[in-house]
Amino acid sequence: MKVLCERTALVDALNIVGSVVPTRTPTPVLRCLKLTATDGLLVLAATDLQVGIRLGVEQVDVEQPGEALIPADKMTQIVRACDDPTLTFETENHAVHIRGADSHFKVFGYDPSEFPPVPEFGDATVDCEISAGTLQRLIARTLFAAAAEHSRYAINGVLFDRRGKLLRLVATDGRRLALAKGDCLTGEGDCSCIIPSKALKLVAKLVDDPDATVRIAVEENQIRLAVGEGPDAAMLSSTLVEGAFPPFDDVIPKDQDKKVTFDTATLSSAIRRAALLTNEESKGVRLSFENDKLTLSSRAPEMGEATVEIKLDDYQGEPLEIGFNPGFITDALAVIDGGKVTIELKAPNKPGVLRTNGEFTYVIMPVNLQ
Amino acid sequence: MPIRRLAPLVVNQIAAGEVVARPASVVKELIENAIDAEAIQITVEIENGGRDLIRVADDGVGIRFDELSLAVATHATSKISDADDLAAIASLGFRGEALASIAAVSRMSVVSRPRDAEGAGRIDIEGDRTIEPRPAPGPPGTTVTVRNLFFNTPARRKFLRSDQTEATRVSETVQHLALGHPQTGFTLTSGARRTIDLPPRQERRLRVLAVLGGELDDELLELDVTQREIGIWGMVGKPAIARGTAKHQQVFLNGRFISDRSITHAIKEAYRGLIDPGRYPTIVLFIQIDPSQVDVNVHPTKAEVRFRNQAAMHGAILSAVRDCLRRADLTPALDLTSVGSPREAPLIIPGPPRAFGSGLAGAPPSASYDSARQFVEYFRRLDPKQKGFVYSEVKEALAEQAPELLIDDDAKPQAAQDVEVLPVIRPVTDVLQIHSSFIVTQDEEGLLIIDQHALHERVMFEQLADAIGKGNLESQRLLMPETVDVDATQIELLADLGPLFVRIGIEAQQIGPASIGINAFSSFLFERGVEPGPFIRDLLDRAAREGVNDDPEAALHEVLDMMACKAAIKSGDKLTAEEITELLKQREKVERSSNCPHGRPTTLHLSIQELERQFGRR
Repeated sequence: MKVLCERTALVDALNIVGSVVPTRTPTPVLRCLKLTATDGLLVLAATDLQVGIRLGVEQVDVEQPGEALIPADKMTQIVRACDDPTLTFETENHAVHIRGADSHFKVFGYDPSEFPPVPEFGDATVDCEISAGTLQRLIARTLFAAAAEHSRYAINGVLFDRRGKLLRLVATDGRRLALAKGDCLTGEGDCSCIIPSKALKLVAKLVDDPDATVRIAVEENQIRLAVGEGPDAAMLSSTLVEGAFPPFDDVIPKDQDKKVTFDTATLSSAIRRAALLTNEESKGVRLSFENDKLTLSSRAPEMGEATVEIKLDDYQGEPLEIGFNPGFITDALAVIDGGKVTIELKAPNKPGVLRTNGEFTYVIMPVNLQ
Repeated sequence: MPIRRLAPLVVNQIAAGEVVARPASVVKELIENAIDAEAIQITVEIENGGRDLIRVADDGVGIRFDELSLAVATHATSKISDADDLAAIASLGFRGEALASIAAVSRMSVVSRPRDAEGAGRIDIEGDRTIEPRPAPGPPGTTVTVRNLFFNTPARRKFLRSDQTEATRVSETVQHLALGHPQTGFTLTSGARRTIDLPPRQERRLRVLAVLGGELDDELLELDVTQREIGIWGMVGKPAIARGTAKHQQVFLNGRFISDRSITHAIKEAYRGLIDPGRYPTIVLFIQIDPSQVDVNVHPTKAEVRFRNQAAMHGAILSAVRDCLRRADLTPALDLTSVGSPREAPLIIPGPPRAFGSGLAGAPPSASYDSARQFVEYFRRLDPKQKGFVYSEVKEALAEQAPELLIDDDAKPQAAQDVEVLPVIRPVTDVLQIHSSFIVTQDEEGLLIIDQHALHERVMFEQLADAIGKGNLESQRLLMPETVDVDATQIELLADLGPLFVRIGIEAQQIGPASIGINAFSSFLFERGVEPGPFIRDLLDRAAREGVNDDPEAALHEVLDMMACKAAIKSGDKLTAEEITELLKQREKVERSSNCPHGRPTTLHLSIQELERQFGRR
């Protein structure tokens, strides 16, 4: 293999592909990137055996097609440290020579055939197609609410639930639940599976053109996504999370009798300020709703107290006092992208619901304040 | 069967059954008599564990010749005269049955000479046979000789343990009495060996050290308070010298050794969180109260007492001991010398290994000893370069920041002595996390090794205890109940645990024949990454295994312990520099940071002198 590569394009690709490479693994080949040079394209591939990624770099001149398997960290360090506009990669047995204008690196690698297969999208059956921008938005609005390392594995991922062209992503950590809706470009029948958080994080990164089309194929225990068309399409594959996702429809309350609308930025600022005087043992911020105003307050023993007021013009219902973990609210407000948000409540020990124009629903459980 | 009046010998033998159970009880009764007789020096001799011979000689007031017969009679005493005296007993004895009881089960002789008398008198009793008093030679004071104990009650004799065990019990008895009476000199000779030798008119602190072992001096805190007419003086052992048996926990009331459950409980409470619940502190307490406030006439051996105001006594002991411990720096020092050869038995006099106090040597090694050994093992495994690194780092830092503390060949020892060394307080800058488990840093005196989990657990515990003092813990509700599968006993426990759950922010109920649903969980635990399901399962398992403590505060403490343990950073967690700094900052803030709630130490200290010694520098 001998390839001349545009360095900056390579840096961008390495940033994404490199994040799949496991840092702690007893298997040295898994710490490597596989380079495959074909006609006018250098494909970088990495896998941790759960998530696999393939990313094509077009800004190359392939002199001699071939394959190489070299340690990801060394390759990334070299490509980042050089300031040449281009670098050449040439294999000699299992070693790779990397040459710049005034530098030469010989990096020892492994036999490329030892690398586990990283699936291509190939001729997989397409389940649905969706615009990259829509998918990215759905991911941003749910992924933050997913559990991390929970003993119920199912909630460590995000539920992918498609009914015809309507796609819903749902994530929960047991204390809050985020649901985002969007339309697919194509899609028939129903499909439901749980995608690991790590894979979804990468999908969001792979999108650089929101108008690109993402093809999704769901198989028995694996999902494949291809961003863009043609031979240079970025491609991600992942095993699915096994287990049953909690019945999310049941936990979204339908009989909330108190409603109020906020400007997202106003509410976000008020909550951030009220949260300044909370600590590890008393996280909660108290929200006191009255007809014309909302008072947010917090108190941390031996630290102090905070009070912030917001005027309300459209509060419907009886006055109510309820406590929430402020982080849970600001997490959601951060992904709404401005505009208005509606809060629906019922009682101090019942969930609160945040909504924006039907596309985003967020259920949040209160804390009992003392 | 017709009813008959029992013969006096039988009556006395029955009485002896209560008072005289073994040689040690004979020794106790006789020494108490000697103390009540204002003796300055008491000499005790035993042979074959006291089975063959017990002799207690004193230099007290003595018994008049014409009173000798009366002295050995039942219910005859010089110590009280009427029932009113019983209400305020100031002497150790008062029942007037000791000599008669002992005489009933042995061959006893009493030789006594009042201080002003010309010569002594002697009386011999053997069962119910008395040889009338006759003049005899003897020094001022009283000598009671008891031979062939239980010769006429074979059943009792059979219950005696080995000579060695009986001798140890005698020795313990003499220790108890010696602790309570520092003004009196004591010697104990067992067979040919002198095992106790304590001079008269000893200062009480020195007496305690002489009995417990002088090497414990640094590990004992002196306590001296008087509150609500209760005077408490004592030597309170640091948690590091806690032991596996209660032997070194000794309480004296008005000079009398007592064992009182409520006082034992108060001591345990005071050490709660500082030592492992299965271990006992080393502590000697002397309580002085008005004799009218206590009834010692509960049991013939007088080890049990009844306080008029039990609660006040409990409270006074608890607060006195707790305050004493709180004021002290409880960070155990690393003692590298103890490695290889276990701490030598503290000997009052040089002698064979079974000498007085050797009980300490036989006791399991203390916690600090164990950790010291582990530390040294660790240190040994380090390669020489690393050792040098640690040493030179510490030393360099010290040379730069506090040269007056650096005692070294090249330093001027003369100058060092002239400078008054003041503790140097400075922010911690050099820290090292090793094996993601321990934090090594320095203070003005040397090296500190901190168990990150133990310390953080302590910090978490204090935070929780503090928060719960201000109200129930904050509770985060769950979207849907988290189910825990349990068994029938655990479901029953749920009712007992209900009030406790409310306090720690947990709401759980039975939702099926063998399952519990958790509706709300402590937001603190959530924040620290503890999951409701596994936590409740662990808690119920533990409650089923160990039972739920009846005392709600104690039960709460146990649960807070568990919460702190789960919430704390673990051994093996890699910490950032900021996290380490924060943890060390907390260490200074948190009360009792030297021990984790289970009583294990959080911090070990290795002085620069000790390091230098270990490296052969001094």
